[in-house]
Amino acid sequence: MPSHPASSPITEHDHPQHFYFHGTGSEYFRIWIVNLLLSIITFGIYSAWAKVRRTRYFYNSTRVAGSNFEYHGNPMAILKGRIIAFSLIALYNLAFDISGLLSLLMIIAVMAAAPWLIWKSLQFKLYNSSYRGIRFGFRGSLPDVYRVYLLWPLLSVCSAMLLAPLTHQRMKKFQHEESRFGSTHFSFHATVGRFYLAYLTMFAIWLTGIVVISLTLGGSTLTVFADERNSMSDPIAVTAFFTFMLSLYAWLFVLFPLFTTLLQNLIWNNTCLCPHRFTSDMKWPRMVFIAVTNIVAIICTLGLFTPFAHIRTLKYRLECMTLLPAGSLDAFVADTQIKASATGEGMTDLLDFDLSL
Amino acid sequence: MPISALYYDGKISRAHHVTLSVQEDIAYIHGDIERSCPLCELRVSERTRHAGRKITFPDEAYLDIQDIVAFERLLSETGFTDSSIVRAQQSWRGTCIALALTIFLLITGYLYGLPLAAKTIAGILPDHVEHAISNGLLDFMDKRLLTPSKLPSARQAEISARFATLTPPFEGVPEYRIVYRNSNIGPNAFALPSGEIVMTDQLVDLMDNDEQILAILAHELGHLHEHHMMQRIIQSSAVSAMVTLMFGDVSAIVANIPTVMLDMHYSREAEREADDYAIAMLKANRITVTEMANGLDKLQAVIRDDPAGSWLSSHPSTHERIERIRHAE
Repeated sequence: MPSHPASSPITEHDHPQHFYFHGTGSEYFRIWIVNLLLSIITFGIYSAWAKVRRTRYFYNSTRVAGSNFEYHGNPMAILKGRIIAFSLIALYNLAFDISGLLSLLMIIAVMAAAPWLIWKSLQFKLYNSSYRGIRFGFRGSLPDVYRVYLLWPLLSVCSAMLLAPLTHQRMKKFQHEESRFGSTHFSFHATVGRFYLAYLTMFAIWLTGIVVISLTLGGSTLTVFADERNSMSDPIAVTAFFTFMLSLYAWLFVLFPLFTTLLQNLIWNNTCLCPHRFTSDMKWPRMVFIAVTNIVAIICTLGLFTPFAHIRTLKYRLECMTLLPAGSLDAFVADTQIKASATGEGMTDLLDFDLSL
Repeated sequence: MPISALYYDGKISRAHHVTLSVQEDIAYIHGDIERSCPLCELRVSERTRHAGRKITFPDEAYLDIQDIVAFERLLSETGFTDSSIVRAQQSWRGTCIALALTIFLLITGYLYGLPLAAKTIAGILPDHVEHAISNGLLDFMDKRLLTPSKLPSARQAEISARFATLTPPFEGVPEYRIVYRNSNIGPNAFALPSGEIVMTDQLVDLMDNDEQILAILAHELGHLHEHHMMQRIIQSSAVSAMVTLMFGDVSAIVANIPTVMLDMHYSREAEREADDYAIAMLKANRITVTEMANGLDKLQAVIRDDPAGSWLSSHPSTHERIERIRHAE
């Protein structure tokens, strides 16, 4: 039997409440494979129900301060969203193949619609999540949505990504400050400076790695190439070249968990459901270890390790989080509840955006 | 026997200590809250190993069950059964059957369903869609891989004219246009979905006689006739869609490996079909099929000398193909 945290949800607590995740790889594997089979048999229709079951499993397995979370997503709503999204994607690809002008129009249409879809997706996701019987929610206004998800990204691209950290900060600020638990709003305090610091740290580490790899492997690759005129046909040159490219690729791969770690810590250490606060103390060596072993195991098992990998990552990321209550958690009041449509949800999960963090 | 639980009313985040008991299909809640509700209006959460159970009321109030063992007993007493899906998920036997079935469906789908579907779709797709897909492809290749042909235009016209006099073996001859290019990538010939058959100077020079050149052109016409490029595009998009559906959460790196590997198999099928078309075309025009095998032999010899060159690299087991063609004589 799992050891549930000893704290009773009734007592007033002022000491830190860790997040616990009780999901196990083997159980999730069983859920995954059964639902995958059903999705295949029904040509993908069942995937909406599978998504709800999976999400419910994750939510129910996440526990903090003696209570777990609940997911209320309606499979029919998600299915509708997915059908719309699927048709749009098909249309989009077709437009690309047919004419240049049409595809340009399509790109513009998608860019114009994306912020709205992301907004709806956030609303759907939060509205359908609850804790202790109180639903989360997301407000946001249309002009803000377009400022954050269209204007800032465009400026960021125009500035050769120099504004990317600022854009990222604006997105997270928007996401967290518009989120609420019942009628209580979250707040977000991470400054633009902290985001730049995180990005600069990343950049510095990335650059150091690139320089080291280039000096060691790149140097030898170059000498091999210099020796042989007819370079690509020489197996030694080819091997050296591929080792070099592979190292660059692997380095990028190792950096990704580091980026996740830096940002999760930055974001959650600066989020509060005032007066209650959160902390996150992810360690990147651990995260890199999990990511690398996951990939190796997934390749070795031809994909069967996927659900285990998912659980491992999620468990680590969640269990690094702590809620620091300032007083009782019993006084949150439900908001007058508004329904949210699932079009956005279906759309964004097909396009595979990760909006959770 | 009453079961202890926490009750959340859905309006405030406070937990109420209550007990749950069932009498004559009605659930009774006693303790901090007094409430009753017919069983048929309650929703019980799915059984999982570690997550505990919840009972949700129609108004979204819910019970967080504390004593799981007693609750499971109560459930069976009231005649509640898990859905068959939940039971399958909870048993390793159900899981193994699901795993075996999934693998079986994926393999048969990939080996038989997908090629058939791709062939059908490629066959009924309007020509202009197929042409549009490779629009600009020749331009792109002209910039990177090809240069204008150094072959005298009289010679080009001679080959094209001779090929045009051949009777195609089957109805529905695809629109085609033979274009000649000088190649930076060795002797090569390929057919684009837009109907261009690209023939390189190097290949023309390599071949001993016109019959061998015609055989290659016939082979390429076979690709056009069977819409092979279109089929490949459809198949690889379907495979990558499936892979994304299954492993979407994992990084794209891993997701793309199987897509690339699974794509290899089909080119072998396609080559065989194009060879059959060429053989039929040669036979219909009384050209000895041996010439085609000889041509392939020559090409294979050249490719072996130059590992980077690759008319054959996407045409696996050339040896097998040559055997087949000689056999067709």
